[in-house]
Amino acid sequence: MGEAYAHPEALVSTQWVQDHLDDPKVRIVESDEDLLLYDLGHVPGAVRIDWQGDLQDQVVRDYINADRFAELCSKSGISSDTTVVFYGDKSNWWACYAFWAFTLFGHKNLKIMNGGRKLWIDESRPLTRETPAYPRTDYKVAGGDEAAIRAFRDDVLAHMKAGGKLIDVRSPKEFTGEMQHMEDYPQEGALRAGHIPGAKSVPWSRAVDDEGKFKSVPELKTIFEKEAGLKPADDVVAYCRIGERSSLTWFVLTYLLGYPRVRNYDGSWTEWGNLVRAPIERGPGA
Amino acid sequence: MPAALDAIIDELRESDRQERIDLLIDFAKNLPPLPPELEARKDAEHRVEECQSPVYLFVEMIGDRVALYGDAPAEAPTVRGFVSLLLEGLNGAAPEDVLKVPGDLVDRCGLTEVLGMLRVRGLAGVLRRIKRDVARVAMLQHAGH
Repeated sequence: MGEAYAHPEALVSTQWVQDHLDDPKVRIVESDEDLLLYDLGHVPGAVRIDWQGDLQDQVVRDYINADRFAELCSKSGISSDTTVVFYGDKSNWWACYAFWAFTLFGHKNLKIMNGGRKLWIDESRPLTRETPAYPRTDYKVAGGDEAAIRAFRDDVLAHMKAGGKLIDVRSPKEFTGEMQHMEDYPQEGALRAGHIPGAKSVPWSRAVDDEGKFKSVPELKTIFEKEAGLKPADDVVAYCRIGERSSLTWFVLTYLLGYPRVRNYDGSWTEWGNLVRAPIERGPGA
Repeated sequence: MPAALDAIIDELRESDRQERIDLLIDFAKNLPPLPPELEARKDAEHRVEECQSPVYLFVEMIGDRVALYGDAPAEAPTVRGFVSLLLEGLNGAAPEDVLKVPGDLVDRCGLTEVLGMLRVRGLAGVLRRIKRDVARVAMLQHAGH
């Protein structure tokens, strides 16, 4: 049980965060699925960065450009050398997504608060409704290696044809194609249900325990290596429906298990399930 | 549409972004707890499938008026607030008025602007579910049950 995570510095405890609330080199960021949670109360000094309103371009299906990212960081009091610690609801889905997005822009020193918002509250740690204001910074975007952590549809098609490893982190019924999730999800719809041929089903939630903390290395190895057949040297592509939950799996494989080549396919099922001539597979899979 | 719901929509529409968030938070805080007999009946049949959070709805008729009960977790304040808003706006209404509630209610309240399009996906499902259950319960009553 004592085996350490491959990159333990990417994960901090709630106590670490509490000890660094007044550290000017650290900026705490809350990223949630439910926008209202931040307004209900957040970690003192934490800023809100919303995956949808702040990180995504609302016209092009892409992330904001480098200028807008620099502006977001500057107004949030984040400098290029600031350590940014993300936390959020739903076992840190959106926190991992924001971590991934920051990595796209080349920001170093990123961390996830293990257990997220729920554990912070369960431990009766301080909350505030006060929105902090920080002196503006003059953020310079370093520029990340997008190709290393992001897969586009053509990459995925080539990967699939080459027999590369694919991890589908959606619910089992979405994987088998029993559930299409069309009704009342018009923005997340796909014309066909199923999964990318060859993908293994590992729902994202399997990587976290009941407290919302990440599972141990042996537990994660059992899930991803014994059951899903991954090997540490594999080139892996993870996807879900819109690319948010799979960033949690990307985080787990990259930082906790230390896999050197993991990409998030953020186009995910909403793109693949609608692509003309993209092959799909139904049923429990291989 | 029931007058109580109409008034809520007007209030939300006239508010700015932060006021809408605060109003929704107030609704979430004021959602009445389920009566114990319904608490015991929180099963798959009463769960709103479209919501990723466990949201439960119960519809009854008291005389010729609709009685609604609902529950949603505190960790999902958006949907909890919306359920609370619907309960306040629709309780005591005539079934035919509930059925007349426009399907784009979330938009009309200005919540799509606040929450973003991807986030309001489950909310429309809550309203649809209420309308479906109201239609069913009212029909049963009409048939003499």
